[in-house]
Amino acid sequence: MNALQRFAAMTKGEPLDRLPCVPIIGNTAARVIGVKVSAIRGDARLLADAQVAAYRRFGFDVIRVFTDLYVQAEAMGARVKVPEDETAYLDAPAITDIAEIDRLRPLNPSRDGLIPAHLEAMRRVADAVGGEVPVTGALCAPFTTASLLVGAEQLVRLTLKDPEAVHRLCRLALESCLAYADAIIEAGATPSLTDPMASATVISPRQFREFAFPYLKELIGHIHSRGRSVTLHICGRTSKIWEAMAEAGADCLSIDNEASLADAKVAVGERVRLMGNVRPSEVMLQGTPADVRRGVIDCVCVAHDSPKGYIVASGCSLPTETPFANIHAMMDAVREIGWPVRPEKLGGRT
Amino acid sequence: MAKSKEELFRELSESVVEMEEERTVKVAEEVVRQGEDAYEAIEKGLSHGMERAGQLFEEEEYFIPELLMCSDAMYAGLDVLKPHLKRTGEKKGRVVIGVIEGDTHDIGKNMVRIMLETGGFEVTDLGRDVPPRRFVDTAKEIDADIIALSTLMTTTMDGMGKVVKILEEEQIRAGFKVMVGGGPISPGFAKRIGADGYAVNAAEAVKVAKRLLEGVGGVQVVA
Repeated sequence: MNALQRFAAMTKGEPLDRLPCVPIIGNTAARVIGVKVSAIRGDARLLADAQVAAYRRFGFDVIRVFTDLYVQAEAMGARVKVPEDETAYLDAPAITDIAEIDRLRPLNPSRDGLIPAHLEAMRRVADAVGGEVPVTGALCAPFTTASLLVGAEQLVRLTLKDPEAVHRLCRLALESCLAYADAIIEAGATPSLTDPMASATVISPRQFREFAFPYLKELIGHIHSRGRSVTLHICGRTSKIWEAMAEAGADCLSIDNEASLADAKVAVGERVRLMGNVRPSEVMLQGTPADVRRGVIDCVCVAHDSPKGYIVASGCSLPTETPFANIHAMMDAVREIGWPVRPEKLGGRT
Repeated sequence: MAKSKEELFRELSESVVEMEEERTVKVAEEVVRQGEDAYEAIEKGLSHGMERAGQLFEEEEYFIPELLMCSDAMYAGLDVLKPHLKRTGEKKGRVVIGVIEGDTHDIGKNMVRIMLETGGFEVTDLGRDVPPRRFVDTAKEIDADIIALSTLMTTTMDGMGKVVKILEEEQIRAGFKVMVGGGPISPGFAKRIGADGYAVNAAEAVKVAKRLLEGVGGVQVVA
């Protein structure tokens, strides 16, 4: 089975050859083609080559074109630092004071920043392997994008001091997200949502409802209207917002390793597909292949029978220097467990 | 009628917990006007309020926005009281803190700084995106007791290990305690890179720092 067939079968409740598996690969893709991290960030051809090469090498089940969280905010005026061989990071938000909000415009996907390059990369990946594997493009959700526009600390203060201003920023971020989502779909890919600042590690579940939820819901509704299903990843603690994430319309929740996959299955497994949550740093980066195998088995034990389906995945994007051996070990463990999942394949555990 | 100092301190604590910056300033000014001891007011008023805020954070009643607003109130009160502090002979623990190079998420680090300051530490904040070498240089310069490293990104964790390595290379490892924290950091990671302490959040970081200063052996973990 190829990845598209695997997901189609899972959705229909038909037999699989194995569970789908997604080590969430970001800049590790640069290592696969032996270039510096900064080389793939703005170069459509290299970015596409790296992602396709990583897919061919490891055989995972979703390709996600992603270099860092800042591409959209940068296209709207934020300043990003790009170290030669490490992941880019935010240097300065687009505005330093909320009073400057009128200076901000929604991004134009055909023109602003590196957006056109990322879109072209998605197009190239989709052309190359889109017939066998889902191709997605990372889309940083409205609340997190808003935090990158005005600065995270400033934004969270504003949630209490000036909620209206937060809504204006989120609305602006949403317009950018909608435009980018459309462009991603036109490029032949599916938007894959990430909203780390909306985590209950940062804001309260009540604030999530007020500031993240409405914009996620509108964005996901729009993507649905274009016939695509949506995976939503939120980092950190999320147990108190799973319900809301499902209600926002997400079809699949990507669960961070800070949260419990077992609890997620009980809470929202009837409504959404789950993916997660092998530890990216302790296990995938620093562990041995045997640790990875154990990490995979732990996850499969608790989540393989989740009613809407389960995808073995890392709890968050993998660190750039994650050893290839560990990514292979993750895929191998899933292949070996096979399908249907039986106790003897999990070392006697279920 | 003038309020008793206990009343004033309680009100200071209350106004910090309630995130009321203006009220905190007003009460702090009242403390000064009545000639109450500024240090006591910080300890039993502002710090006490911040500790309660930290408690509420642990209980998931408060989140980062609330903690930041509490700390805004706390700092506003501190600005009023600081000039009236009498010098004390007691040596405070010195901490160098910063977010490791490659990461500009500093909310977590700022919270730790605030809690350490209210916990009585003298803190030098190097900000965010700090190269490993600068932590060591600054620690030597100010004769720090503790180097506190933070990161939220899995991509930058290696820099923490580098700080420990530099200390070892210069054969000054024993002179400083190194504590680490942040989203992707675990006690296991702290051990592996040879750090002395790990804390799961800002409130716990103060406990860890205090234990480190007391010279408690082994990796100090509060999780």
